[in-house]
Amino acid sequence: MSLKTSKPVLRSAAWRISLWATLAFACGTMLVFVFLHRFVAGDIQRRSDAWLSGEVEVLGDVAERTPKDALYGRVVGEVAELAGKEVPNKLLAESSSNDSVFFLQTGGDGSLKLWVGAGTGEPNRAAILAIRMVPGQPTDLDVQGFQIPFRVASIRIDDGSYIYLGLSERDELRVLRSLRLRFFLLWLLLVLLGFGIVFLTTRRMLSHIREISEVASSIGHSGLNARVPTTERNDEVSHLALTLNHMLDRIESSMYQLHTITDSLAHDLRSPLTAIRGKLEMSLSATTQGEQAEPIVSAIEELDRLTDYLNKSLDVAEAKADALRLTRSEIDLNELLKIMIDLYEPSMSEKGLEIRLQRSGPIKIEADAALIHRMIANLFDNELKHLPAGCAVNLRVTADDDNASLILEDNGPGFDAEVLPHLFERRVKGKKSTGHGLGLAFVDAVTRAHGGTVSASNREKGGACLTVTLPLIPIGPPISAQAGV
Amino acid sequence: MRLLLVEDEIDIRSFLQTSLEEAGYQVEAAADGKTAEQLAIEGQFDILIVDLGLPDQDGISLILRLRQLGVRAPVLILSARRSVDDRVRGLEQGGDDYLTKPFALAELLARLRNLLKRNSAPGAEATRLRVVDLELDLLRREATRAGQVLQLTPQEFVLLEYLCRNAGRVVTRSMILDRVWGMRIQPDTNVVDVHIYRLRGKVDGQGQQPLIRTLRGVGYVLKDL
Repeated sequence: MSLKTSKPVLRSAAWRISLWATLAFACGTMLVFVFLHRFVAGDIQRRSDAWLSGEVEVLGDVAERTPKDALYGRVVGEVAELAGKEVPNKLLAESSSNDSVFFLQTGGDGSLKLWVGAGTGEPNRAAILAIRMVPGQPTDLDVQGFQIPFRVASIRIDDGSYIYLGLSERDELRVLRSLRLRFFLLWLLLVLLGFGIVFLTTRRMLSHIREISEVASSIGHSGLNARVPTTERNDEVSHLALTLNHMLDRIESSMYQLHTITDSLAHDLRSPLTAIRGKLEMSLSATTQGEQAEPIVSAIEELDRLTDYLNKSLDVAEAKADALRLTRSEIDLNELLKIMIDLYEPSMSEKGLEIRLQRSGPIKIEADAALIHRMIANLFDNELKHLPAGCAVNLRVTADDDNASLILEDNGPGFDAEVLPHLFERRVKGKKSTGHGLGLAFVDAVTRAHGGTVSASNREKGGACLTVTLPLIPIGPPISAQAGV
Repeated sequence: MRLLLVEDEIDIRSFLQTSLEEAGYQVEAAADGKTAEQLAIEGQFDILIVDLGLPDQDGISLILRLRQLGVRAPVLILSARRSVDDRVRGLEQGGDDYLTKPFALAELLARLRNLLKRNSAPGAEATRLRVVDLELDLLRREATRAGQVLQLTPQEFVLLEYLCRNAGRVVTRSMILDRVWGMRIQPDTNVVDVHIYRLRGKVDGQGQQPLIRTLRGVGYVLKDL
């Protein structure tokens, strides 16, 4: 029986594990980047602020010293333009155009005195006047007509006018943007790669575990000679496989010992039984039938009972150890019960008992025919021996998706209350029972060996109820004929 | 009929030899595989009885060896083991038979007869069986005793047919269970006896000579005069 069902990848444990691992990894790296980004952005800001503060001071100095004549505008303007060429973080390709820096001098009343930069400088002046600027402290400034804000530093010079030096944050933002883009691409690559690696590794590991569990679960059904697959690697999973195999070795060897013991016990007892039986039969045929023959006849009968007891107790012992060897074939439970009832009906009616089978369609199981026959014979013998005259036995077989249930009900006295919990143990028998107390233990043993269960209860209306549940033949590919261990 | 008996347990060997000779076989006995091999090569045997647990070799190896040496006679395998070896199943399919110890002598003899019959040329299948004044029509599934039709259930007819086919020979309860109901069980109760008792009630009417006899401790026999 194979447990391998084509499970969708999205529901596999490997998928879930890799998803969670990747999520954690992605969040972690993202957090690291956020910190890094803030650090880099702060550093760039600090540098441009330092430059702005320095340059505005130099320009203030120049403006103060330059005489206020016709050349004032040209001198200060040139110095300002020169300063604009030393802008930090500037991209080389755009060194020619210079709209990233502006120089503005306003009078104490806010009137424009000198402008160096792109455009008329009027919107810049308006924007500066709109906010309150603290001299010496660079501030962000949004200017109408420019998408990117400026960083502006100011200084007040002795003649009461203000000098402003503005630096577009365009380059700074471009550096950060390219940093973000590169990081994001790298991050995506890492996350995808990480996901792939984690997924493949866990899937490999889990598929190994699944192989192990598949083999382990099939071992109970198909003998103990199978072993779980092992790998060369020295990890936990291969360690698990090795441990399981060692365990299986030990179980197999103890099973083998048990078989050897039961086999030799059977052999050692059956050989003398054969000799005794043979001698008894010979003396029986030699003497005439009659009074003299009686002790011999009863000795033979005792001997046959002893043989049956021996067989049953060895079967029960092996089944208890899960070591009963089965030769499975297809059996129709309804058909089998019909034959069994045919066999037992005369004895039952002779005792004043009635036996009925509620017929239903064929219900097929795959089981050891000889053992199932003996099991049902045991159940019927049990009824025959313990039911008082006038009672009826009702039989029916039902089936659900996986199991067939054989339900046997009677309207007799039911089970003794103190015996009921131990009904399927060896040597447990009712007060009036004359058997050796193996019958129901044998029923239990055979059922278990076939992967089924048996339960007993007393019915509310009086009488006993026994339910034997056996697994149905699974729908799908038939189980290949299994030889015993 | 020449029979080779290979059995190491002296008690079993001696009672089998005596019983088989009484049943009309010419028996040669061997206690181990080596002796058995020699005997089998020297003499022609019609049938072999081989115990699985021999002191010097496995019974199956002996059988396979004898087959290689050209011994064609069918083999009845005796085993005291619990499990039926796969190789025994193979031999069973090859036409040999298998019997678990302990066994009833009647069963052993029946199996020997079956093996010999299987190996002889199959004759035309009889459609009527007749024992004294009991007559069975196998096609119409009808039994008559002294011209009177017996009211038998189908199962009773099968049982009677089995007894008639073995008329004069002992059949045990387990043989009846095996051949008539097709199951190898050992009921604690007298289920077979009740069937026989009922059948006897129908077959052996008042004033008629009783045909079905019970041999206590052994089984039943349909008398053949």
